[in-house]
Amino acid sequence: MSLVMPKPDEATLLKSSSIINGLKKISKHVLSEEEEKAVYETDGLSIHRQKPIAVVLPETTKEVSLILKYCYDNNVKVVPRGAGTGLSGSALPLEDSVLVVLGKFNKILEIDFENRCVVTQPGVTNLSITGAVQHEGFYYAPDPSSQMACSIGGNISTNAGGVHSLKYGVTTNNVLGVEMVLIDGTIIRLGGKNLDAEGYDLLGVVTGSEGLLGVITEITVKILKKPQSVRAVLIGFDTNDDAGNCVADIISAGIIPAGMEIMDKPLIIATDNFAKAGYPRDVEILLIVELDGTESEVNTLIEKVLEIAKKNKASYNRASESDEERLRFWKGRKAAFTALGAISPDYICMDGSIPRKKLGTVLNEITRLSKKYELAVANCFHAGDGNLHPLIMFDSNNKKELKKAESFGADILKYCVKVGGVLTGEHGVGIEKRDLMCEMFNNDDIQQQLSLKKAFDEKSLLNPGKVFPILHRCAEEGRVHVHKGKTRFPDLPSF
Amino acid sequence: MTDIYRPNNQEEISQFIYDCYELNRPIEIITLNSKPIGRSIQCSQTLDLSKNSGIIEYQPDELYIKVKAGTPLIDILEVLKSKNQMLGFEPVDLGYLYNGKPNYGSIGGVVSCNLSGPRRFKSGSLRDHLLGFTAVNGKGECIKSGGTVVKNVTGYDLSKLLAGSYGTLSVLTEVTLKVVPKPEFSETFVMYGLTPKEALEVFSKVMKTSLEISGACHYPKNNIDFLRLNDLDNSKTITALRIEGPKNSVQERIESLNKMFKDVKEKTILEIYQSDLFWKISANLECFNNSQKIVAKISLPPTETTGFISQFCEDEIMGINNKYFVEWAGGLIFLEIGNEDPSYLILEKMKKFCKEKSGHITIMKADNTFRTSGFFLSSSDENIKILASKVKLSFDPRSILNPGKIYAGI
Repeated sequence: MSLVMPKPDEATLLKSSSIINGLKKISKHVLSEEEEKAVYETDGLSIHRQKPIAVVLPETTKEVSLILKYCYDNNVKVVPRGAGTGLSGSALPLEDSVLVVLGKFNKILEIDFENRCVVTQPGVTNLSITGAVQHEGFYYAPDPSSQMACSIGGNISTNAGGVHSLKYGVTTNNVLGVEMVLIDGTIIRLGGKNLDAEGYDLLGVVTGSEGLLGVITEITVKILKKPQSVRAVLIGFDTNDDAGNCVADIISAGIIPAGMEIMDKPLIIATDNFAKAGYPRDVEILLIVELDGTESEVNTLIEKVLEIAKKNKASYNRASESDEERLRFWKGRKAAFTALGAISPDYICMDGSIPRKKLGTVLNEITRLSKKYELAVANCFHAGDGNLHPLIMFDSNNKKELKKAESFGADILKYCVKVGGVLTGEHGVGIEKRDLMCEMFNNDDIQQQLSLKKAFDEKSLLNPGKVFPILHRCAEEGRVHVHKGKTRFPDLPSF
Repeated sequence: MTDIYRPNNQEEISQFIYDCYELNRPIEIITLNSKPIGRSIQCSQTLDLSKNSGIIEYQPDELYIKVKAGTPLIDILEVLKSKNQMLGFEPVDLGYLYNGKPNYGSIGGVVSCNLSGPRRFKSGSLRDHLLGFTAVNGKGECIKSGGTVVKNVTGYDLSKLLAGSYGTLSVLTEVTLKVVPKPEFSETFVMYGLTPKEALEVFSKVMKTSLEISGACHYPKNNIDFLRLNDLDNSKTITALRIEGPKNSVQERIESLNKMFKDVKEKTILEIYQSDLFWKISANLECFNNSQKIVAKISLPPTETTGFISQFCEDEIMGINNKYFVEWAGGLIFLEIGNEDPSYLILEKMKKFCKEKSGHITIMKADNTFRTSGFFLSSSDENIKILASKVKLSFDPRSILNPGKIYAGI
């Protein structure tokens, strides 16, 4: 099914040139030529493309505020964009929108070791924050695989996670404050260098809101001291169920590993070819467990983990003996998406979250669906927190295959919800999973979320068409939950 | 006299709120033994949630527990203890502050206050441990958000909003909380006789190490008499650091602290039993047992704490001597304010200080006069208040749920 976006407003399109002129009075960096805009027509979900009316690259908060106020006054839609690495299409421009790109907000403003935090502009990459504090032995905990390229502002908009979030949390647990511009141009500050902002936790709700509530212009994040000792173990299994049980048993034993990742055979081979990680090639499924703490603590935990692995019929194990070796173990896993790109012309990456103990069951279901759709799939999981990333391989030159891949992906996510999980763990809903929201939420739930959106953005100008299904589609697909015999959308033309 | 309604389940709660919505009747939300925290409010209806109680699902290996919101917290803690697990945010028992005796109250109440204990700076606050909920909004509609998994970005994270909303957005009916394994072992390293400034320096120093301190507090001279533990000398100021984890690791790290602070002459180590007791006493604000004064919580960037203390807590030269203590490795101060100054000018000065230094004040306990006329939260940012008001109305369009509890008029 092709993607339906909100119908462009004809009146707005007709006044495109006046909008471009208006923006040029505010900002030096307005791109309006077709070839200039081409760079920004898609994000990490590159199967969908659309050029906006104009692309603006503001340099200051004041400029962002003026741009938003201009758009608000003129009823022009706004789509915010960070580094454009998002995988669910949250930053896909709309035809009648202005794309606000935060790329020029690329400076770290303050490193404050005394208060254990960093104040940064949103366009700074995730990895540069660690880069700026590691000389003192500190780091920023959330580490999505795209951390070299993705921006910290984008991390906030999708509440990005990574491989260490079981122990150290995701973005929302590591952000202390933001400066944000509301759609009418109002600049507000939520939180700061202290812990726990007072009143309603607006920072908490802005994190993970995919650019629908405001444009973030400054961020304060918590930094942590690196652990004394870190080691990782590779454990191989012959079946999905054994690997799944091993993960559940590690947690049941009261161990919270710093990271716990799973890859299946296609990815083991692909990543090992690509990154020369030294993975065993004769196992069906590979678990990487990372443990940190004091040296003796780590050694004790590694023994415990290996014992649990043995009980679950592990056929291979190797503990890292040096930091180089540990980093090599991760090099393969972190290159998973790139490595797969080398063996398949296209792939789509899914992002469900499930209860840990369903890992084996869900992997088996994915294998079954792979046969049904006749499309190859490779799997990597953040097993510690039940966040799975099946990578469905296809060839975009074959239109039928793309459609099949999308249906395959949707079936996986529906299955995740069925076993008690959720549609997206860390990539966001965007446009990709928008129309699946009714699988998880009924109308009252969605209506409440939309009311909240209106509290921030009454005219619905910020990033419309994302996260929430377009009304008529949800109804057409027969997924509307009817409450007390009546639907609940009297005053909502679309959502 | 208000009518008290005690529904048995979510459907009855939903119907009751729907009826109140239709009739425009404000509701005060309580469970048994609720504490009068927040601003004083007048409502024609009272909704008592204590009957909506019970554990729905406890999955120790999935690290979560799902309960009805009226469940007494103490019951939840007991169940978790049986599987050697706990709530990572270290719940605060306000029973001591309010009535001088333990009374955690219900989990719904605890979540609504978003109060977190000494482990906060390491493990996050309550809101970081709330995975999902179901609730009834101000129109009587049942809503849900989140789930049982830790990674979830499916729609807005309403759990964050509801935690700490003091029942002003929706009435919680079910909550799912993350649980964590209980540390195998713990000990507390205590240094005596440090000034608050020295204590703050200690916190700064240890927080720049990999020792993973999970508690760091300081009790000054005017606030130590109540600390009665066998191995603790309560005649001098107390600066305490907690270490948790596997036994060998705890002992190694305690040894590191010993080396790091070898110049501090007077110190002791509280072993596991007394260590646990010490942090429970600290978490529960037992130093302000049944206080009849105003007790305020001040959240500041740790570097501003010394300045705050010398201005508002203790200063011999200026003759300032208010009972207080420092928590969260310097990020939090609890302070008792005397009644000598009935206009509470000091609170206004504190507000100004906090505004300048990016901090804020929450009034944990006050008399009825202050609860009616004074502030509960110190925020003075008008734009935030406007947004907060819109957020309130998006859940509760007729403003019938605990109206005015957080801010006057919201």
